[in-house]
Amino acid sequence: MEIIAALTVGGLAAIGMWMLLDRNLVRVVLGIVIIGNAINLGVLTSGRFFGETAAFVSATHVPSDGANPLPQALVLTAIVIGFGLFVFALSVLKSVRETHGMTTTDFVTVATEEAAPDGRGDDAGERSDASVAKGREGPRA
Amino acid sequence: MLSALFAIALSALVAPLFARRIGDRAGWLLAIAPLGSFIWFASCIPVVAGGGVIIESAAWVPALDVALTMRLDGLSLLFALLITGIGTLIVLYAGAYLHDHHHLGRFYAYLLLFMMAMLGLVVADDLIAMFVFWELTSVASFLLIAFQHESAVSRRAALQALLITGGGGLALLAGLILLGVVGGGWSFSELNADAIGGHALFYPIMVLVLLGCFTKSAQLPFHLWLPNAMNAPTPVSAYLHSATMVKAGVYLMARLNPVMGGDVGWSTTLIMFGAATAFVGAVLAIRQTDLKRLLAYTTVTVLGQLTMLIGTNTVYGLQAFVLYLLAHSLYKGALFMAVGAIDHSTGTRELSRLGGLIRYMPLTGAAVALAALSNAGLPPFFGFIAKEFKYAGLIEMGVAGWVVTLVMILTNALMLTAAGLVFIRTFLGREGNFPRHPHEVSLPMWLGPVLLAVGGFVLGAWNDWPEEWLVNAAVQSVARGEIDVHLYLWGGITPAVIASLVTVALGALFYGYRHLVRRYIALSRVYWNVSGDLIWDRLLKRLFAFASSIAVSFQHGSLRLHMTMMSLITTAVVLVAIIVSEENLLSGGVYSPINLPAVVGCVLALAGAAAAAVMRGRLALVTALGASGLGLALIFLAVNAPDVAITQLMVETLTVVFLAFVFRSMPRIPSVGARHASVRVFHAIISGLFGLAVAGALIAAVDHELPGDIAQWFLANSYPGGHGSNVVNVVLVDFRAFDTLGEILVVALSALGAATLLGGGKPSRLTDEGEPEFDSPLLRVGMRPFAIVLMLVSLVLLWRGHNLPGGGFIGGLVGAVGFILLVLSFGNRLARELMWTSPPRLIGAGLGLALIAGLIGIVAGEPFLTGLWFAPAGVKLGTPLLFDVGVFLTVFGSVMHMLQRLAGRVS
Repeated sequence: MEIIAALTVGGLAAIGMWMLLDRNLVRVVLGIVIIGNAINLGVLTSGRFFGETAAFVSATHVPSDGANPLPQALVLTAIVIGFGLFVFALSVLKSVRETHGMTTTDFVTVATEEAAPDGRGDDAGERSDASVAKGREGPRA
Repeated sequence: MLSALFAIALSALVAPLFARRIGDRAGWLLAIAPLGSFIWFASCIPVVAGGGVIIESAAWVPALDVALTMRLDGLSLLFALLITGIGTLIVLYAGAYLHDHHHLGRFYAYLLLFMMAMLGLVVADDLIAMFVFWELTSVASFLLIAFQHESAVSRRAALQALLITGGGGLALLAGLILLGVVGGGWSFSELNADAIGGHALFYPIMVLVLLGCFTKSAQLPFHLWLPNAMNAPTPVSAYLHSATMVKAGVYLMARLNPVMGGDVGWSTTLIMFGAATAFVGAVLAIRQTDLKRLLAYTTVTVLGQLTMLIGTNTVYGLQAFVLYLLAHSLYKGALFMAVGAIDHSTGTRELSRLGGLIRYMPLTGAAVALAALSNAGLPPFFGFIAKEFKYAGLIEMGVAGWVVTLVMILTNALMLTAAGLVFIRTFLGREGNFPRHPHEVSLPMWLGPVLLAVGGFVLGAWNDWPEEWLVNAAVQSVARGEIDVHLYLWGGITPAVIASLVTVALGALFYGYRHLVRRYIALSRVYWNVSGDLIWDRLLKRLFAFASSIAVSFQHGSLRLHMTMMSLITTAVVLVAIIVSEENLLSGGVYSPINLPAVVGCVLALAGAAAAAVMRGRLALVTALGASGLGLALIFLAVNAPDVAITQLMVETLTVVFLAFVFRSMPRIPSVGARHASVRVFHAIISGLFGLAVAGALIAAVDHELPGDIAQWFLANSYPGGHGSNVVNVVLVDFRAFDTLGEILVVALSALGAATLLGGGKPSRLTDEGEPEFDSPLLRVGMRPFAIVLMLVSLVLLWRGHNLPGGGFIGGLVGAVGFILLVLSFGNRLARELMWTSPPRLIGAGLGLALIAGLIGIVAGEPFLTGLWFAPAGVKLGTPLLFDVGVFLTVFGSVMHMLQRLAGRVS
């Protein structure tokens, strides 16, 4: 079972990475979710699936075949944090769309890039200003 | 000593407050700490002069064996007295000099911070502690040079000083670490001269340490930062850049002389660099027309001579070192403060505009006269004894010493000329052309120069006293063996006296023909064109160009290229590691049996994800993603992880709702992947390899037996230790509660961050007034009871979580789902009314409760977050439950906060 789970993790990771490499930010955000799922399943898999029963004990009985509780606890919080990250990414997507009117990654980078204060002098600054202005003029929703 | 450091640091902290409240009189109050320290150090003189050493120690990083050990021997004491003594005068002086400056408090704070650091540097016995203080002095110096930060020149000088001394500091750190490893101990008193002397690493250590010392003490070719540092206010120049900080490098060389001085390379390097620095400094000094820059270059000269004297390692040389150190601090401090007073009074420091000032500033003039005589090395001043001993020490060395002596005669003659310029040209002769009408300065401003100058005279004329109490002990700390210290003004006709006579004669000659000398120096203009500053600027420019060329090739601004790079490197590292380890994958480790529901879950998860990867429609995307998440939940359930499965289910529901909210306003995705087919193929290969690497790493991991028995430990201790049947929950809220605390903090922060970004767009008036997002009578009627049930369920889940599936995370998520139903069918307002309070407050309350649950443990005398239980009326209550309530509120509040910002806004 671990092998099948590991292959699933690999498959999900590959699909997630493919989506992260997409031009469109919408798909990048979904890629974050999928790659997060892959990692969660991976952590759980690394704890093995030998448990015959869930990790519950009572005052008198400690099961010898209980599932490994540690990765479960780790993954449980990771899922909630992953959700927080996902909403954050989603809100970035939303505000990018609202400010720049587009959702393609390359355009977004050009629009938000500003020259470093100690950058290579004036021409870099001018270029960046121009592109910011261009980004602002783009279609608005 | 520790209390002295502490008192000065405290003064630095309260300085801004004092300066704001009582203005420039704050100086008198702030001078108490340095003055008290000075008195304390003075009271140590008898012990140290008798050959004793005072040690104070406090543990700092016990695990690394780093202690804050203070060790006061002769050398440290001499420095400590100079730092606190001159420091006291400088604090008073600064109050008058900068009395109308609006950042006087900040200035005091920097100055006292520096004083603390410098004092720590000279008394620290530990190598690492010394280094920390060393760096602190560089930082304080940076702040002080850049004090007038409106001026670009000041900023440039400050940066230059920081880069040069900081760069040297890095070398020094490496050198000190090697020294500690080789020398058999991490404190100066433990270093073993025999172990270091013959070691193969001796020369690397020496070069690294000397790089640090030479940059700090402005030796050739690093001297250029010091004259530029004169852009700082005069008190800073007087204190840091002549009397104390620049001597830190000299101090360290002297400190290490007993363990490293036995080597010829050490002596040769010090003498060569020192003598060259001294000569160049003197020549450059004569060229200056600004009094302050002139003094700065004479300081460079003195630093060079001090370095050279350590290198001689002769009886007279080391005595001369200590004498010269003391003499120079006294007269140069006095001269700098006097120049500041002149500047303050007349408004100029240009030599050509000064003259005849003695009529207006008699006290300052007298101080300058005394200091200049000491500077010139005339009897009976302390500077004279120092010069005599210097010659004697050099002559002791034989032929090489004679050559150096000739250079030094020339150098000292130029110094005498410089002293003449400072006193005769400025105070005597015909009246200068001052921008302002000069006047004598106030008490705090003349007190410092007068005291220091008189000190230089008294110590020289009655030299028995310093010999017995100060110089002897200091010389013994610098020397490799016992040295018989005997000071005298007149020792008969010796070669040193003859050298002195030649010096004075030459110096007088140079002063008389100073215009000729200057013109002659100016003739060799070719050399002055090779200005260190120009080289520095070019170097810096090149460096920035190089740095940005590197940065541009990595920080290209393309998200996809970043991802490609990261993915490829991760893949390569993992795959190489698997290949190198020669792990035989799938070699038949022990696996658990195939679990059919889990396999179905795997297929569903993969199929959903794959569908999401290729589909274009927004609705299809959301559906596919949801299916993938459900598959994952199925896997979790099948492998006996019910809590995780419920969490996944709830999060999946919320994900779909949030996606639906945002995707409403998104356009249809035009295409999948990159525009060009070749790039698409490239991306597919990268992704495939990445997946392969992840799967490979995981298979390699599960191939082995699970090490340790932590799972069984948690199972066995959950009930006895945590009073809970649900082991996963007990792990979360009790055994690893500190992790959970960090995690809910992350959830809260991401919610606050996301909510801020989601705030864009116009809030829809209708929704705000109670109109629903999706209006439907069926929803309105049906949802209300259902939502209420969900809310109650969430509370039950929270309560029973410790023993049955549930807990704060799950409860919070279920509650949020219930509320979302209400928001969807009745709009935002009802939800707000039902919640009584705003979500950020809920988040705050949740984090607060979790923290309180942890603090109760501390109050009870246990470590933070220890679970404590009590059972009133048979109901088991405990701090873990309180903690879980905190988790519940944080998660619930976070989700609601994001949702309320998102709902009811059209973009």
